[in-house]
Amino acid sequence: MEVKKVNLAYGQMQVLKEVSLQVQEREIVSLIGANSAGKSSMLNAISGLVPLAGGEIVFEGNPIQSLPSHEIIELGIIQVPEGRRIFPLMSVRENLLMGCYSRRARPKSGETLQRVFELFPRLAERRDQLGESMSGGEQQMLAIGRGLMAGPKILMLDEPSLGLAPIVVEIIFKVLQEVNRQGVTILLVEQNVKESLDISSRGYVLENGRVVLEGVGKDLLENSHLKKAYLGL
Amino acid sequence: MGGIYALVSIGLTLIFGVMNVVNFAHGEFLMLAMYLTFWVFHYFQIDPYVSLLIVTPALFLIGAVTQKYLIQHLIRAEHYTQIFATVGLSTIMANAALFFWKADYRMVKTSYVSSTLTFSDLVVSYPRLISFLVAIGITVLLFLFLKHTYLGRAIRATSQDITGAKLMGVNINRVYIFTFGLGSACVGVAGALLMPIYYAFPTVGLHFVLTAFVVVVLGGMGNITGALFGGLVIGVVEAFSGFFISPELKEAVYFVIFVLVLLVKPAGLFGLTKG
Amino acid sequence: MRFLKGNYFLGFLILLALLVAVVENAFVLHLLIMVFTSIALGLAWNIIGGYGGQLSFGHAAFYGIGAYTSTMLFVHLGVTPWLGMIAGGILAVVASLVLGMPCFRLRGTYFTLATIAFAEVLRILVVYFKEFTGGSIGIVLKFNAGFLNLMFKNREPFAYIALGFMALTYYLSVWIENSRLGYYLTALKENEDGARALGINTYRCKLVALMLSAFLTALIGSFFAQYLTFIEPESEFSLGLSIGMTLAVMIGGIGTALGPVIGAFIITPLQELLRIYISGEYQGLQHIIYGIVLVVVVICIPQGVYRWVLEIIFKKRTA
Repeated sequence: MEVKKVNLAYGQMQVLKEVSLQVQEREIVSLIGANSAGKSSMLNAISGLVPLAGGEIVFEGNPIQSLPSHEIIELGIIQVPEGRRIFPLMSVRENLLMGCYSRRARPKSGETLQRVFELFPRLAERRDQLGESMSGGEQQMLAIGRGLMAGPKILMLDEPSLGLAPIVVEIIFKVLQEVNRQGVTILLVEQNVKESLDISSRGYVLENGRVVLEGVGKDLLENSHLKKAYLGL
Repeated sequence: MGGIYALVSIGLTLIFGVMNVVNFAHGEFLMLAMYLTFWVFHYFQIDPYVSLLIVTPALFLIGAVTQKYLIQHLIRAEHYTQIFATVGLSTIMANAALFFWKADYRMVKTSYVSSTLTFSDLVVSYPRLISFLVAIGITVLLFLFLKHTYLGRAIRATSQDITGAKLMGVNINRVYIFTFGLGSACVGVAGALLMPIYYAFPTVGLHFVLTAFVVVVLGGMGNITGALFGGLVIGVVEAFSGFFISPELKEAVYFVIFVLVLLVKPAGLFGLTKG
Repeated sequence: MRFLKGNYFLGFLILLALLVAVVENAFVLHLLIMVFTSIALGLAWNIIGGYGGQLSFGHAAFYGIGAYTSTMLFVHLGVTPWLGMIAGGILAVVASLVLGMPCFRLRGTYFTLATIAFAEVLRILVVYFKEFTGGSIGIVLKFNAGFLNLMFKNREPFAYIALGFMALTYYLSVWIENSRLGYYLTALKENEDGARALGINTYRCKLVALMLSAFLTALIGSFFAQYLTFIEPESEFSLGLSIGMTLAVMIGGIGTALGPVIGAFIITPLQELLRIYISGEYQGLQHIIYGIVLVVVVICIPQGVYRWVLEIIFKKRTA
C-alpha cells in the first residue's frame, strides 16, 4: 500500500501535511509520534472515516481515498481503533462475529473464530462475557481478535499498548508477530517506541503532521534525535 | 391494549436507539397504517389480521423511503431542526389525511369484533387478546432477529458504537434505512391490530404517539425490553384508571406518571443510562 | 448598532400606527391585527424557544389559560378583561412552573414531548370540567362595546392594542437579549453542561424564561378571546395552534428579535388568505401547506430569513 502526499484537515487545522508512506506486503511498519502528531488521523483517513484534503492512497494498485468505509473493509484493510471501541453490550463471541460482518469474511466465520480462540485462549474462556465487563488487556485482545476475524490483508492498529501492563503488551506484540508470520501485513501506530520498532521491519516518525524520520527499524532505534525525544536518553 | 402500545413504542425506541432521532411523526405512521388497513378491508374485504401481512411491509417501505429522503438529512442537523422537521412532517401527514379522507371516524366491522372469551371470572375481548399475543410474538421475533442475525447485530452495533460499526464494514446508511423501516413496520402491525378495536381518524396518531413516548421514557430510550414492559404497564394503568377514575382523564393520568417517573429516574424504570 | 435598531424599530412602529389610523378596510385591519399578534406570540415563544433553545409545542396551554381565565372572569364575574388578562397571565406563570419544574430536568426532545402532553392534558381537563368551562362547546362572549370590556365596534382599537403588545414583546425581547439572562440563555442553549460548569444556574434561567414566555402568551390569549368573542378547547389548546406560533419564528429567524417580525409579515397574511379561501371546502389543506413550509424552511434555511438575508449582504460586502 502506498500513501502519497496526503493532506488532512479538521476544519481550519491541518493535521497531516504532505505525508507519504509505504507499506509492502508482509511487512510490519511502525508509525511513531507523540500525541496529536496525526497518527490516528492517518489511519482514519485510510479507513475512509475522514475525507482527505489532498493526496492519494493507493492499495494494490488502486486508489482508495474516496471509497466509503465499508468498501475499504471489503478490500481487506482493517483497523483496530484507538481505545478499542468494542461493543460494550455484546458478548465476546458477538463482538468477534461482528468482525466478520463483511461479505469476504462471513463464509469463513467458523474457521476464523477457531483460529482467533487459539491465538487468544483468554477470549475463548470468556466467550459469553459482555464486552464492557472485561479488563483493558482483554478488551484489546478482543479488539485485535475482532480485527482478525475480518480476514485482513493489512491490519492497522492504533496504539494497542495504550494503558496496558507490560506483560500484556508483550503478549499482544508476540501475537502480532505470529499473525504477521501467517501472512498479514501490519501497520502499527504507537507511542511505545521501543516495543514497536523492535518487531518492525521499517518505521516512520510523525511530528506535527509531517514525516520527520524514516528508515529500517534498527537504524531508527539508534537515531540520536529519536533517542532523545522518544526514549528519554 | 398494552401490547399495541408496546409495539408502537418498540418502533420508536428502536429508531431512537440506533439513529438518535426522535420521530414525532411516528404516530402519523400509525394513522397511516390504520387507514391502509381500513381501505384494504373496505375495497377488498380482507380481514385486518390477514391484511397485516400487506400493511406491515407497506409501512416498512414507507418508513425506508422517508428515511432515505428526509430523515437522512436530519441526522447531522441540530436538535431543533430534527424536532421541527418531524413535527412538520406529522402536521403534513395528519392534515393530508384530513384533506383526503375527511374527519369521519372509520371502523372495521368484522364478525368477531365484539366477541369475547371467558376464563372463569375474566372476560377477555377476542381482538384484544389477539393483539396482545401478536405483539408479544413480534417482539420475540424482533429479539431473535437482533440477536442472531448479522443484520440484527449490525443494528445493535450501530447503536452502541458507530465508529466501531463502520470499521466492521457496516454500511451505516443502509442500517439506518432498514432500522427506520423496521420501526415503521412495527407500527404497521400495530395499526392493523388496532383497527378491530379502535377507530381511525386523522389525528388518532397524537394520542398514541404521546403514549408511546411515555412508554419509551418509562422503559428507557433505546431499550426494547423496557418498551415492551412499559407498554404493558401502561395498558394496565389505562384500563384501571379508565375504570376507577374516569375514562376522560386517562391521558392526564399518564402525564402525571410520566412526570413522576422522570423526576425520580430520568433514565426510565429499566433505563440504560444514555446520558 | 443595537440602539440604532431600536430607533429604527420605533419609527417602524409609528409607521404601523399611522397605517392603522389611515386604513378603513376591515379586512386589512384584521390582517394587521393577525400579524401583530403573531409577532407578539412568536416573540413570546422565542424567549424560551429561541433564546433558551427549549422548544415548546405546548404553548397553546398558556394561551388557553389566558383566554379561559379572563373570559370566565369576564362572563361569570364581570371582571374587566384588562385585569382578567393579568390574572390569566399569573395563572399561566403558575402553570409554567408546574410544567417547567419537573420537566426542565429533561433533555431537549423529552421536554418538547412533555410540553405537547401538557397542552393536551389541559385540553382534556377543560373539556372534563364542563360546568365550569362550557366543555367542548366553548364559551361565547356577549358583545358589549366599551373600553373596559375590551370590545369595540370597529377594529381600529383592537389593532392599536395588538400593536401595543407587539411593541411590548419586541422591546422585552431586545432587553432580554442584552441582559444577563440573555447571555445565560445563549450559553445554555449552546452547551448546557458547559454553562453549568461555569456556575450558571441553568434550571432557574430556563424557568424564568418560561415564566416570561407564558405570561406574555396568556395575555395574547386573553386579547384574542375578546377579539373573536368565542373560545373553545379545540382551538385554544390545540397542537396546531402551538405549532402555528412557531411558524413565524422559524421562518423569520429563531432566536432573534427581528426574526419573528419578518416571519410574521411573510407568513401570517398567507395564513389568513389560505384560511379564508381554502379552509371551508378543502379542510386541512392549509395545514398541509404550513407543514411543508415548515419542513422546507427548517431543512433549507434553518437560520431563518432574517439571518439568511444578512448572510447574503455580508457575503456581497466581503466579495
